[in-house]
Amino acid sequence: MINLKELSWSLVIIWASLIAVGLVAIYSATQGPVAEFLPSYIQFNFYKQLISFGIAVLLLIGLQFINPRTFQEGSYVFYGLGIVLMILTLLIGKEVNGARSWLELGPFNLQVSEVMKIATILAVANYLTSRRNISAENLKSAIIAVSLIVLPAFLVILQNDMGTAIIFFALIPVVLFWSGLPYGISLFIISPAIIGYLTIISWYWGLIAAVIITLAIFMIQRRTWLTFTSFVTGVLLVIGIQVALNQVLQPHQRARIEAFTNPSFDPQGAGWNVIQAKTAIGSGGIYGKGFLEGTQTQLRFLPEQWTDFIFCVIGEEFGFIGAGFTVLLLLALTLRLLQMAAVHKHPFAQLVMVGVLTVFFTHFFINVGSATGLLPVIGIPLPFISYGGSALITNTLMLGICLNLDFYKRQFSIYR
Amino acid sequence: MQSRKKIRTKTSLRVLQVCIIILGLIILGRLFQLQILDYDTYNPLSRENSLRQEVINPARGLIYDRNGNLIVDNQPIYTITVTPASYDPKNTPILAELMDVPVEEVEKRVQEARDYSYYRSSRIFTEVDFETFSIIQESIWQLPGVGHQIESKRDYPVDSLQASHILGYLREVSKDEYLRTKSYHLGDKTGKSGLEMAYEEQLRGTLGTEYIKINAMGQNLGSYQDGALDESPKKGSDLYTTIDTELQLLAEDLMQGKQGAVVALNPENGAVLSMVSAPEYDIRKLSGRLDKTYWDSINADTTNPLYNRAVSGKQPPGSTFKPLMALMGLELGIITPETEINNPGYYYRGRRYNDLADPGKYDVGKALQESSNTFFFWLMDKIATQKGLDKWHELATSFGLGEHNNIDIPNEVAGTIPDSTFLNRVLGEGKWGIGDQLSLGVGQGFVAVSPLQMALVAAQIGNGGYKVQPHFVSAIRQNDGTMLLTNPKKGKIDWIDPDEIAVVKDGMRRVVTEGSGRYYADLDSVKVAGKTGTAQNPHGQDHGWFISFAPVEDPKIAVAVLVENGGYGSISAAPIASLLIEQYLTGEIDRSYVYNYVKTFEPKKQKTDEEEENIDDQSQGT
Repeated sequence: MINLKELSWSLVIIWASLIAVGLVAIYSATQGPVAEFLPSYIQFNFYKQLISFGIAVLLLIGLQFINPRTFQEGSYVFYGLGIVLMILTLLIGKEVNGARSWLELGPFNLQVSEVMKIATILAVANYLTSRRNISAENLKSAIIAVSLIVLPAFLVILQNDMGTAIIFFALIPVVLFWSGLPYGISLFIISPAIIGYLTIISWYWGLIAAVIITLAIFMIQRRTWLTFTSFVTGVLLVIGIQVALNQVLQPHQRARIEAFTNPSFDPQGAGWNVIQAKTAIGSGGIYGKGFLEGTQTQLRFLPEQWTDFIFCVIGEEFGFIGAGFTVLLLLALTLRLLQMAAVHKHPFAQLVMVGVLTVFFTHFFINVGSATGLLPVIGIPLPFISYGGSALITNTLMLGICLNLDFYKRQFSIYR
Repeated sequence: MQSRKKIRTKTSLRVLQVCIIILGLIILGRLFQLQILDYDTYNPLSRENSLRQEVINPARGLIYDRNGNLIVDNQPIYTITVTPASYDPKNTPILAELMDVPVEEVEKRVQEARDYSYYRSSRIFTEVDFETFSIIQESIWQLPGVGHQIESKRDYPVDSLQASHILGYLREVSKDEYLRTKSYHLGDKTGKSGLEMAYEEQLRGTLGTEYIKINAMGQNLGSYQDGALDESPKKGSDLYTTIDTELQLLAEDLMQGKQGAVVALNPENGAVLSMVSAPEYDIRKLSGRLDKTYWDSINADTTNPLYNRAVSGKQPPGSTFKPLMALMGLELGIITPETEINNPGYYYRGRRYNDLADPGKYDVGKALQESSNTFFFWLMDKIATQKGLDKWHELATSFGLGEHNNIDIPNEVAGTIPDSTFLNRVLGEGKWGIGDQLSLGVGQGFVAVSPLQMALVAAQIGNGGYKVQPHFVSAIRQNDGTMLLTNPKKGKIDWIDPDEIAVVKDGMRRVVTEGSGRYYADLDSVKVAGKTGTAQNPHGQDHGWFISFAPVEDPKIAVAVLVENGGYGSISAAPIASLLIEQYLTGEIDRSYVYNYVKTFEPKKQKTDEEEENIDDQSQGT
């Protein structure tokens, strides 16, 4: 009955390659000459990641023996359990780097928000599958779906983990869009991100974007109220961000945002990470400085080089070729998942795959964007590459579920 | 319905694919920009990051006295630094224990360093003793972020020798200075006074550079390319000075508790044997780490210990000016050695100018011996009316008065020898007359000189009228061992006639044997010549002067002493000068009673009532 040819081997190869790239980079970042400047617990990270890799392999295999219906039927239970754990984490969790997102379970530390991403994707996919298509006239189900995402996102914010919260928010437009949200409204709900980003760089760019997006929405949707709302929202956003930057934000918060637009403003403080990260990547050149040869990496100029800034290690030691290859691997991962979703007949599986690829892609884009100075520094890991057992295992879990749903796609439709 | 949904799925797929590809291309484009287009920007940056160009300060040149004894040396000082980025606050108690200071103290200093810079190392303990430094050095592996460095400070190996106004002190360059000169870095030290300032260029040497590999914590990982690019520093040049340590020690000892100055010169070449400005500051307390309390206290001190009275002081010379007057009178043909005038006890020119000398007949020799004011008022009257003030000015300045003598320490003043231009400016054109000029003849009024200038007058009379260049440094030894001699200028003052000099030297000899110098300045062993002086001081007790040279026929030493508020020069300044001459020429002091007298002599700041009453009818100068 199980035909191994049905498994998406291309995804498995991409997955294994990404983890291999990650292990090489983590090795360089923690076991190279740099090791002498690192506390011993960080030097163990490479071996811990190896162990996590072993668990991930077993997990990926094991997941293929699970009945795909379980994910849909159990989704609300997982979701409810996840929310309970999230609240528990808030109450008794362990604080790491200022974020209270770790729950101690005997010898293991679990980052509940990682697992919560899967539970949320499953629950939202299940909910939207059970509803009629979303349309401009029927936004009720859309609002409930958004609430399902916003609740865990809110708890993540309470844990003081902005990076992960952004991942949850990124799910909203993509999942709704896939479920049939009209194009104009879809564009409208992602417009704040575009306008906000450009406003931080320069307020008139933000304003120009607001005008163009409003025109685009009008062209697509031709609804006066939507066009009007879009324009007002855009302008208010530009003004609001300007006021926030100049009046409301604390100096240290502003410093972090200014560090992204102008790192040399405070090169020893907030700008340090950005400058060192860009220097590491830029000095890698085409071919890189060679494995264990990166001065930025090995002389400890990079902060958190085994997690949030691991892309700099790859960029410095393996150059444009290595970094470009890594980017292409991650793009292949997401595009393959998207392709897989498009050919799947069951909307639940489609939504799960789209949700999962959104999580991967957002992680990738924000992480690499931060490291290359395209975005403000937001501390989130690079999927499958950054050090972190919880992240590797939950990312593999997400991929494994997608593989499972794809694997059983022929049988799947009958469960509808 | 079904097909519409399919179309929608297909569109959604395309839209998302396009989004992913666009964003992916943005990332790839950014990588292309950073790694290929801007490679030439970032590659040097990463090299600079990991390579540090360290400036190595060269050892500062040493200073020797005239006998080749070391008087200024360098001493290593040990400094403990911290780099807050890599410092673990958990180690604070260990560090506190090693340094033997309270934990709070370490916390405070680390916090200060953190406030300064998180990633750069800051000094937290300076001038740590060697033992503690060694212990820290051994434990440094368990104290990440803690570093050490060795710097140097000036050391003065001759115990109790100060010579602070000669040697001068070093201070960190100000922000202005290092921004202006470029050859200094923040934290570098530079001479701020004395020889340290005047010979900064020579003493400093040439900076070396060293390229070392460092990590982000600033930890030194050894030299880059085995030091192929390094340049070693060049040690500063050593100064061989003319200072006589024994004489300087005695002069400092004698001037202790007084205000004033001593300058002793070698009349043959202008070499400064000793120079003291009292009160002195403690040169050792200004070496190394700045003792803020001490620095503030000497700056606030009203007696101004940082001020070098020997070269910067401006006082009327009083009667010590009279030998020069005598020379000028003889030269201008107004008097001969035999010219006698009658002194009724005062000089009358519109009003009475009093004289403390006994009435009687005076020739120039007796006038010098008894310091007769009448004779010199009369002489000044003749010079001013017959030759003019400007002629007098010309002759007086040829001795180095009223002008800079280019001694090789800073802050030398020119003083004042008035001419008609000066009086026109100060008193107004045509508004001055003979009354303003008479006092100049007895070294009062507008005449202002420094002790150095009066020492030069004594030296130049003593050596038969040769102008000498006062100087401290006789030779400079460069770091390659070559000796540069400074070759000070020496030249005959052209108007001086040996016969005229002989008359004045004889008069100055008689001051010591028969005049006011006979009590304290006359030595059995050496023939001393000199001249006492008392400079009027409107603010308090008069200042005592004594200028002298010895042996009289062929002088080896010329000394000028100024004791502020000392009263008569014969009782305040003369004993000091004579003790210095005795020490210098005989190597010992026979007259311990004079030494004891000087040590117990206490200048009075204020005039007593009785003296206050006398001031009006007292003549000018003695």
